[in-house]
Amino acid sequence: MGVPDETGADPRGPADPCGDPFLRTRFAIPALPATYLRRERLLGHLDEAPRRPLTVVGGAAGAGKTLLAADWAAAHPGRVAWLTAQMADKGRGTFWAYLLQALRLAGVTLSDGVGLPAEAGRVDEALLTRLAAELSARETPVTAVIDEYDRVTDPEIADQLEFVLRHADPGVRLVLVTRTEPLLPLHRYRAAGAVTEIRNDELAFTPAEAAELLELHGLRLPADEVTALLARTRGWAAGLRLCALAAQGAADPRTYLKEFEADRTTIGDFLLAEVLKRQRAETQDLLLRVSVLDRFCPALADALTGRADAELILTGLHRENAFVEDLGHSWFRLHPLFRDILRAHLRARHPGLETELHRRAAAWLRHSGPLGETLEHAAAAGDWAAAADALVGDLALGELLTGPRAETLADLFSAMGPGPGTPATDLVRAALELSRGGLDRALPPLERAARALAAEPAGDAAAARFGCALLRTLAARLTGSSAQAETAARQAVRLRREIPGRLLDRHPEPAALLDTHLGAARLWAGRYAEARAALTAAADTGRAAPTAQALAHLALLDHLEGHPGRAERRALAALSEAEHPGPAVPPGAGLATLVLAAVATDRDELERAEALLAAPADALGDPVTEAQRAIVTGRVRLARGDTEGALEAADRMVLAQETSPWAEAHTALVAAGAHLAEGRPELAVKLLTEPPGGEPLCLVGAARAELAAGRPANAAELLDRIPAHHGLGPLVTVGAALARAQWHGAEGDPAGQRGLVARALREARPERLRRPFREAGPWLPPLLAALPLRALAEGWLLPGTPRPDGTGRVDEPPPMVEELSGRERDVLVRLAEMMSTEEIAADLYVSVNTVKTHLKSAYRKLSVNRRHDAVRRARELGLL
Amino acid sequence: MRYEIRVDGELTETLAKAFPELDHVVVSGHTILFGRVLDEAHLYGLLARCQSLGLRVLEMRQAPQ
Repeated sequence: MGVPDETGADPRGPADPCGDPFLRTRFAIPALPATYLRRERLLGHLDEAPRRPLTVVGGAAGAGKTLLAADWAAAHPGRVAWLTAQMADKGRGTFWAYLLQALRLAGVTLSDGVGLPAEAGRVDEALLTRLAAELSARETPVTAVIDEYDRVTDPEIADQLEFVLRHADPGVRLVLVTRTEPLLPLHRYRAAGAVTEIRNDELAFTPAEAAELLELHGLRLPADEVTALLARTRGWAAGLRLCALAAQGAADPRTYLKEFEADRTTIGDFLLAEVLKRQRAETQDLLLRVSVLDRFCPALADALTGRADAELILTGLHRENAFVEDLGHSWFRLHPLFRDILRAHLRARHPGLETELHRRAAAWLRHSGPLGETLEHAAAAGDWAAAADALVGDLALGELLTGPRAETLADLFSAMGPGPGTPATDLVRAALELSRGGLDRALPPLERAARALAAEPAGDAAAARFGCALLRTLAARLTGSSAQAETAARQAVRLRREIPGRLLDRHPEPAALLDTHLGAARLWAGRYAEARAALTAAADTGRAAPTAQALAHLALLDHLEGHPGRAERRALAALSEAEHPGPAVPPGAGLATLVLAAVATDRDELERAEALLAAPADALGDPVTEAQRAIVTGRVRLARGDTEGALEAADRMVLAQETSPWAEAHTALVAAGAHLAEGRPELAVKLLTEPPGGEPLCLVGAARAELAAGRPANAAELLDRIPAHHGLGPLVTVGAALARAQWHGAEGDPAGQRGLVARALREARPERLRRPFREAGPWLPPLLAALPLRALAEGWLLPGTPRPDGTGRVDEPPPMVEELSGRERDVLVRLAEMMSTEEIAADLYVSVNTVKTHLKSAYRKLSVNRRHDAVRRARELGLL
Repeated sequence: MRYEIRVDGELTETLAKAFPELDHVVVSGHTILFGRVLDEAHLYGLLARCQSLGLRVLEMRQAPQ
């Protein structure tokens, strides 16, 4: 697709967390123009950089910060890594991926063990720790220059940089080039003498420097005139530079400069207009047009002007030091200050042209640039057909639904009206609706797209057809139709063969999503083994978004097969995969939380189950999750003695095309439990024996109902039907053993009964399954009250016998749902040492507010509200 | 909220177009941009826009309603 030298990106090289190749221009030290004036006094300050952890070059736009840093960096090859932080708004993971790449490009050897951020939005703390450790082992420090650091507005990135800087000391030095005060605790560095600061006042030109600069432009001025010019420009580098350029073109430069001094227009505006009007018409046109671009190469500029002279013009402009900066690899950018002013001029001179320029940029980038930039320009042009084409053609349709870019992409496309009805825009509309849970509204555009694509000749638009089949699989899953899901998935697999392998290699997500949707549909249909196969394949890809969903479904499978402990572990893994900054609940997290609620109910931890049930749901609204929500809600209400509420929950219809055997069975169990509790065993028996499904838990429930109805013979027959196969987990076997025990009691065999209860206790204990014992009936408690069974029940099912030291009775606190982050642990450790919030902040070199944020999040994870409790809980859990 | 932002120098009409949501008036070597500011994010955005256009902000104040 892309030609590396034109895109500035190497498609075969390493990629950022979104799968886009790194933009090489972000790592290039800007080239110095011929008229650059080296100022030794400032370079001298920068020479301090390797001796101090932090250097800040801060000043207004056009103060000459970047060129100063570039001059210094170019003189220290092999020891300086350069990064232009333009991607900082694309997420923490992206930022760190770029910074790691910058270090590697500078020759810093980092082992593979350091790893790479897997997601755009976040970076593993362990990765930063490993990075700091490897850097700290260096003999000579590497200096990382981060230009445009003002783009870093996420305080967490600042904290993370700080962390690495401090722990890697003295292996890494940081030079931040920024327009705004960096979000770092500078005062602390100042107090420790650990920061070099080069600020606006120092960047301002002195009279001698100004005279020299003007001379480089061929202007010789007497000292008083230079001073007057400095007063007008306040030593502002960009102002002086433009002055010189404007005066160069004037008939009498000195008179011209006098006029400039007297003029009262804002400097940048005035000078830029002056310099611009002295350029040839073609040059002016090109400058105005490229002002819509972040960066450009001659070919892209030509695409905007419709001419073929960009290369010549750009080289010339760069040589004259007018407007254009050379990023290397034949890429350029406008000086940010001039770019904004030029854009104002473009709007004034050619109203409406901006849209057309964005459209042309998108069209050019579509074939040679990264997807993100293409989409931004297409959206800015309002060319939604092109934007949707680019997204679908790049196999990125699924990213609208899940993944690091989902929110950004949904935001971008939310501005799309009902307008163009191409297959691609219809697919995007369908995906957007599906992501919001609007299945009904998704189907019409999806069908429209399918029909339009079917009419096109085979082979064309393979990516769009594949995207369509993928969405149809998802839609089938959401309508609860496994048959349709199978058909659509088979079609998708067939279409995938028509897509170029290179494109598929770059995008492993669609395949994983396909398996996830297929697995979820099979799970709904109760085809456990096939569901497990598809879901395991999806989880194994390691891409976070599909993995979280797949793990959540696998967790439900485990629970349905009676293994609450296994289900809990998988649900927790799903939640940690789904961890995601932002308000939306990512797909998968909702189901995982419901599985945890089910496990909490099995353990009779009802408050925890209720809290988990109250957690917000994800927007997808698929039948598996909805059914599980109704079932768990019913079980918790039943446990609370709210039979009416339980019946109401069991009555909730989940709309689906096919019925789900397990959803029906478990709903029936809830309803039967309610009827049994209300003394209506006949109804319970009827509910549980009517569907011919042999769901083991239903057989157990039916047997209990028969016993309650006084028909032990029927009960025995039902219990004998429970298959003796090995996959059944303790949830089933414990229930079955208790029902058998009740039967033995009814048949007058107390020894057999005790034996079965003992077996149930032994199997339930490791999983802490308390619920089956609580609902077994009035016959059980007297048995448990006497030895030897009491010994088996004490400490987890029954209160333990108090020991002399009073430690016997342990109220088991809820287990941790989320792991503490490294930073939260740092804060907790200090909390345990009785440090105040302020002291912790000072010790960790972060702000008090940051400490409070970490504390709050640690409290939440530990389910406590006070620092004392937090320390106690953390000790109990062995975290300190 | 209404705000007034006073910047150094006289803004040309072209550059004033970079602030379409504000009115402006030029007074003796200064320009005052004024108008309704939606929220704090908008306010900081305006400041950043001044900065990126190389304008020197001399004063910024909330105007009476």
